[in-house]
Amino acid sequence: MTNTLQAPPVAQGTSAPRAAGGPGRTKNLLTRTRPWLLLAPALAVLAVLLLWPLVRVFLFSLQDYGLREIVSGEPNWIGLANFGEIFTSPELYTVVLPNTVGFAVLAVAGTVAFGTAVAVLMASLGPFWRTVVGSAIMIAWAMPAVTGTYVWVWIFDADRGIFNETLQALGLQDEPVNWFTNRYTFYAIVLLNVIHHGFPFVAITILAGLLGVPKEMLEAAEMDGAGPWRRFWRIIVPNLKQVFAVVIILSTIWDFKVFAQVYLMPGGAGSNREALNLGVWSYVESFGQNRYGFGSAIAVLLTLVLLGITVVYVRTMLKEDEL
Amino acid sequence: MTADTSVRATRRSARKTRSAAGKAVLVVLLLAFTLFPAFWMLSSAFDAKAGTGGQQLLPREFTFDNFAYVLTEGGFDVFLRNSAIVALVTVLASAVLALLASVAVARFRFTFRTAMLLMILIVQMVPLEALVIPLFVQVRDLGMLNTLLGLMVVYVALSLPFGIWMLRGFVAAVPVELEEAAYIDGASWGRMFRSVLLPLVMPGLVATSVFSFITAWNEFIFAMTLLGGASENYTVAIGLKQFFGEHSNEWGYIMAASTIITIPVMIFFVIVQRRLSSGLVAGAVKG
Repeated sequence: MTNTLQAPPVAQGTSAPRAAGGPGRTKNLLTRTRPWLLLAPALAVLAVLLLWPLVRVFLFSLQDYGLREIVSGEPNWIGLANFGEIFTSPELYTVVLPNTVGFAVLAVAGTVAFGTAVAVLMASLGPFWRTVVGSAIMIAWAMPAVTGTYVWVWIFDADRGIFNETLQALGLQDEPVNWFTNRYTFYAIVLLNVIHHGFPFVAITILAGLLGVPKEMLEAAEMDGAGPWRRFWRIIVPNLKQVFAVVIILSTIWDFKVFAQVYLMPGGAGSNREALNLGVWSYVESFGQNRYGFGSAIAVLLTLVLLGITVVYVRTMLKEDEL
Repeated sequence: MTADTSVRATRRSARKTRSAAGKAVLVVLLLAFTLFPAFWMLSSAFDAKAGTGGQQLLPREFTFDNFAYVLTEGGFDVFLRNSAIVALVTVLASAVLALLASVAVARFRFTFRTAMLLMILIVQMVPLEALVIPLFVQVRDLGMLNTLLGLMVVYVALSLPFGIWMLRGFVAAVPVELEEAAYIDGASWGRMFRSVLLPLVMPGLVATSVFSFITAWNEFIFAMTLLGGASENYTVAIGLKQFFGEHSNEWGYIMAASTIITIPVMIFFVIVQRRLSSGLVAGAVKG
């Protein structure tokens, strides 16, 4: 879902939906049930395939759910033991949390800062170059996460990758380095990948906001002797507070659940325990070790974290627009 | 002109050239960073010696062999067909469901309407890692593991919330006056829907469909989990894995296959971008 989510269209005709139920009042019953008839198919699909699974993952998290339970269907309730195991696992504190939270903080900061810088640059360009840069970042945005990740893996490949070969040609290193074995260089590559894939959304959204900032305000500030730095912080940022809030929250949600970008890297699928983050840990425990209950408990924690962020997001949205 | 102002003017113009040059450098750097992965993918895909080391920026020996291999022996002809079927069914089913639901939330006021919208918004944020475990068990219980049908059903559900959310904006943008005019002309609700609402919401429907196409085409976790054993049913996103060997990877093949996967997504991306910004109902209501 990550790359298809977008800020919902802002400020569509915000006039409250009127009860355009239909002609005449004789068909009152049909008119009243019509919205539910229209909603029913979609709701049925969502209930069976999204809501029920969400309930179930919570139920699984309270069980010792392995291959045997899958086959027999017999529940094996163990209360909060899975959660107890998670919170007493030293791996959580030394590896998984830093890899999830620390990474998300860096990725969000990097994506938003870089995206904003690109938006400011684009706003100052003429129409021709703005189109050129816009098309280029569209290409970075459209790159699927799977193929994008493989390309970065190829660039940093230990034996034949262009990064190592360039460093060697420049005489900066004698031997090829395997960048994927060290936890920090591993996540540096993930960071590069995520920022490269994520900044176009930020840049395009902020650019749209920037073009809406009244020119007079900026000119007046320039007359008063405010430099570009000051103009940015004093006029643009306060004007675009809502846009920044939406962009930051959405990026946080996406960067918390980075999966393919880690899983597809060498060692990322669980063989390098140092590279685990919450999502990959949950998947690897479930489908690698057949500990579906334990994996579900991790997934529940990840969901709760994201739900918390989502509540903040919804609040921000509600301030901006009537649903 | 006094000496003072002319000095200031030259200083200002010097600053202008310097800032223009600085901007040019920034644009070049930005383009290089943005385009390098895509460029490197293409360059390796067309290089006969990709993965043998010492690769240059441009292919040393230009070839189509990587593509030919991927599409025949590599099995990507089958994977492409699978992905196309899955994506097509997903797009059609989710377009119909999302359109009906979005009309309901955009055009009617009813109890639980706001709750419904909030639920749709929140459900989009649920991480796939949390859904994959219960859905794996569910699909397994239904005996649909390793089938494309199981995957399609899941993808319809995944693309629905966003589809409803986005289409709702497009439906709301159609002026209610047009609907009322249709009723005055004696049209039933169904007739109004077909002849007034549907044509006007079409651009939005196209954009939403493109997004669900991209979801189905790119999705990776569910394809990997639900199709695990049946490589003849693989979609393109997981078909790539087989070019990774135990000791060496066939980078020429991987990059050629990646190019094949990426191109449809890029084309569709361009289409949506234009559709989304085009005037929605421009000219439909005359002053």
